[in-house]
Amino acid sequence: MNKRTTLKWMLGLAVVATLVGGIGLVQKFVTGERLAGYGSYVPWGLWVALYFHGVGIAGGAFAIGVVGYLLGVAGFREHLRVTIWVSAVSLVMGLFSIWLDLGQPWRMYRIFTDPSFTSMMAFNAWMYMFFLTLMAICFVLSVRKDSPTALHDRSGWLVPLLMVGGLIGIAFPSQSGAFFGVVDAKPYWHTAMLPIMFLTSAIAAGGAVLLLVFTFVLPENTPASAPPLAMLRRVTLGAVLFYLGAEFAELSIAYWSPVSAHRDAFNLVLFGPFWWVFWVVHLGGAAVGLALLSRQGSLPVVGTGAFVVALTFVSSRLNILIPGQAVEQLKGLREAFMHPRLEHYYEATQNEYLVALFIGGISVLLVAVGIKLIRQLVDSREATVP
Amino acid sequence: MSPATGRSSDAAENEINRRDFVRGGVVAALGMVAAVGSVAHARRHQPVRDPVGPETTRALPAPKTIPEDETADVLVRMQAELRRAMAKPVEQRRWAMVIDTRKCVGCFACTVACMAENKLPPGVVYRPVVQEEFGQYPNVQLRFFPRPCMQCDQPPCVPVCPVNATWKRPDGVVAIDYDKCIGCRYCVAACPYGARTSDFGHFYTEGTPQRMPYETLPNHEYGKSWSRERHGSPMGNARKCQFCLHRLEEGELPQCVTTCIGRANYFGDANDPGSLVAEKLRAANQVKLLEEKHTKPRVVYLV
Repeated sequence: MNKRTTLKWMLGLAVVATLVGGIGLVQKFVTGERLAGYGSYVPWGLWVALYFHGVGIAGGAFAIGVVGYLLGVAGFREHLRVTIWVSAVSLVMGLFSIWLDLGQPWRMYRIFTDPSFTSMMAFNAWMYMFFLTLMAICFVLSVRKDSPTALHDRSGWLVPLLMVGGLIGIAFPSQSGAFFGVVDAKPYWHTAMLPIMFLTSAIAAGGAVLLLVFTFVLPENTPASAPPLAMLRRVTLGAVLFYLGAEFAELSIAYWSPVSAHRDAFNLVLFGPFWWVFWVVHLGGAAVGLALLSRQGSLPVVGTGAFVVALTFVSSRLNILIPGQAVEQLKGLREAFMHPRLEHYYEATQNEYLVALFIGGISVLLVAVGIKLIRQLVDSREATVP
Repeated sequence: MSPATGRSSDAAENEINRRDFVRGGVVAALGMVAAVGSVAHARRHQPVRDPVGPETTRALPAPKTIPEDETADVLVRMQAELRRAMAKPVEQRRWAMVIDTRKCVGCFACTVACMAENKLPPGVVYRPVVQEEFGQYPNVQLRFFPRPCMQCDQPPCVPVCPVNATWKRPDGVVAIDYDKCIGCRYCVAACPYGARTSDFGHFYTEGTPQRMPYETLPNHEYGKSWSRERHGSPMGNARKCQFCLHRLEEGELPQCVTTCIGRANYFGDANDPGSLVAEKLRAANQVKLLEEKHTKPRVVYLV
C-alpha cells in the first residue's frame, strides 16, 4: 500500500472514529458524569490517562523537534511548523480530555482567574497556557518573515523562543509525574521516579508521533535512514528502552524488599484483572515497536512501529494512574458503604471509550488538515519568490 | 548537507549564536523567577476567607425545660458547651471529635442521620462506619470506627486544590466552596482517609417514572441553600463532612453526635479545658487514623 492509500485509509478511519465517538461526546454533555465508570475511590480514569498521554506527546514532540531544529538536522527545519502543529493539537486534545473529566467543566476558567499555585494542577495549567502561547508566537515568527525566501530564517526571536519552548516541553511532562508524586496518600505514586518516567514516556510517545507524521510528510522514496527519521527512531527507541529499564527498577525494588507499600499496586499491574494492559498492550506494544523501529526498514515499517509505540504507550499512563488509586488505604472502607461509585475497581465504560475514540479521531483529522494548510501556506509563499 | 551527519553544510547558518542564548536564557530565567515566586507566594500567603473577631460570636439561648446539671445526658452537657464556644470569636474555637469505639455498636444511625441532614445523593457518604474484625476464631471481636472527615490540621486535600475552593477555617473545619469547586477530584485523590466523595449527579429514583420531591430539596451545608437541580452545585463537586457547621451556628450538635444511641461521639471545643471533648482528648487510650501520614487529624478514637 502506498503512502497516499495509507493516508486515505487512516483519514477514513479517523472520520469514522470521530463520528462514532461523537455519540459518546453528546451522551457526555447530556448526562454529565453519570455514564462514566470512575468513582470516589478511583476518581480518575481513562480520560485522565488520555490527558497525560496528550500533554506528554505535545511536550515530547516539541522538545525533540526543537533539538533537531537547533542542531540543524535536515528535515526538522523544513517541518518546524508541522512539529509545532502536531504538538499544539496533542496538547489541546489532551486538555479537551481533562476538561470533559471535570465535574463542573464550565468553571475551568477559575484556574486562571483564581489559581492556587500550591497545587500542581494549577501550576501545570499555567504552564500549558504559556506553552501554547509560545508555540503560537514561534509559528507566527516562522511564517511571517520579511521575504518568502526567508521562511527558514533563524534570525530574530525564533531561536531563543524555541529554546524556551523546548525547556517547557521537557518541564511539563515531568511535572505531570510530580502531579502524582506529591500525593502522599497513594504510596505507589509517592516516588521521585514518576517525573522521570513521565518525561521518558513523553519522549517515547512524542518521538513516535513525530516519526509517524514525518513518514507521511517526507517524500515517498525517503529512506528510513534519512536524518530526521533516523534521529526520531533512535530517540524513540532509546526512550522506550529507558522507560522499560526504569519500570524494571521500580518493580524489582518493590518485589525484592520484604515489605513494600508499592507491592499491592504492582500486584494489580502484573496479575490484577487488567494484567493484559501491562503484558499485552504495554510490553507487547513496546516489543513490536522496538522490533520494527530497530531495523532500517521501509517507511511503512517505520511508520507502523511508530504508530504502535504512540498508541500502546498510553498503557504506561494507565498502569500508573489506576493501580495507584485501586489500593485501599483504609481497610474496610469499601465494605463500610456500598455503591458502584465507592469501589476500588475501575473499568472504563462504553461512554468513556467512545469519547476516547472521538479524541483520537479528531486529533488525527486536525493534524492532517493542519499539515495540508501549512503546506499550502508554504507553497503560496514560495510561489511569490521573484 | 553532509550525508554522514545529516546536518546542513552551512554551519554558520545552523550555529546558535551567543545573542540567541542570552535572549533564550533571559526569557527562561524570567519565567523561572515568576514560577518560583508564584509558588512561594502561594505557600506563604494563604488568602483570608472567613470573618473573624467579635462579629463571629453567637449568643445562643439556653433551653428552659431541660436541666443542665451533673445528672444530665452527655448530649445536654455538650450542647451547653457548644453555646459557650459559640459565644467566643470563631478563631478561638477549636472543634474536635472523639469517638469511643468501645461504645459504638455499629448501628449506622450516624451514617443515615448524616445522609438525611445533608441530603446526600447515591454514592456520596460523609460518615461510613468501618468494621474491623480482629483476633482468631473462636476469640474474634468486631470493632466499629465511624470515619467522618478528620478535619486535619495539615490537610493534604487543601493545597492540591487548583482554584482555592477548599481551605482550613479558623475554627479548624476544612471547608469547601461549592460555587468555586471545578470538580477536578484532586482533593478526592489526595485524602488518605477517603473522606471526600464526589457527587456524580445520581438520584435515588433514577430510572423510575418520577423523581421524588425529597431528592430535589436543597441542603444547607455551610449555611447556604444548595440545590442540585439543573446540574447545580454541589453536583459535580467534591463533598465531605463539615462537622455540620450549619447546625453549630444554630447551637446544635452535629447530627451524627445527636443521633448516636451509644453516646460514643463526643464533640466540642478543644480549647475549652472544661469541655467533655477536651476531657476525652486527654485520655491515654486514644489513637488517630493513619497517623504516619502526618495530617494531624482532629478526630480521635478511644480504644
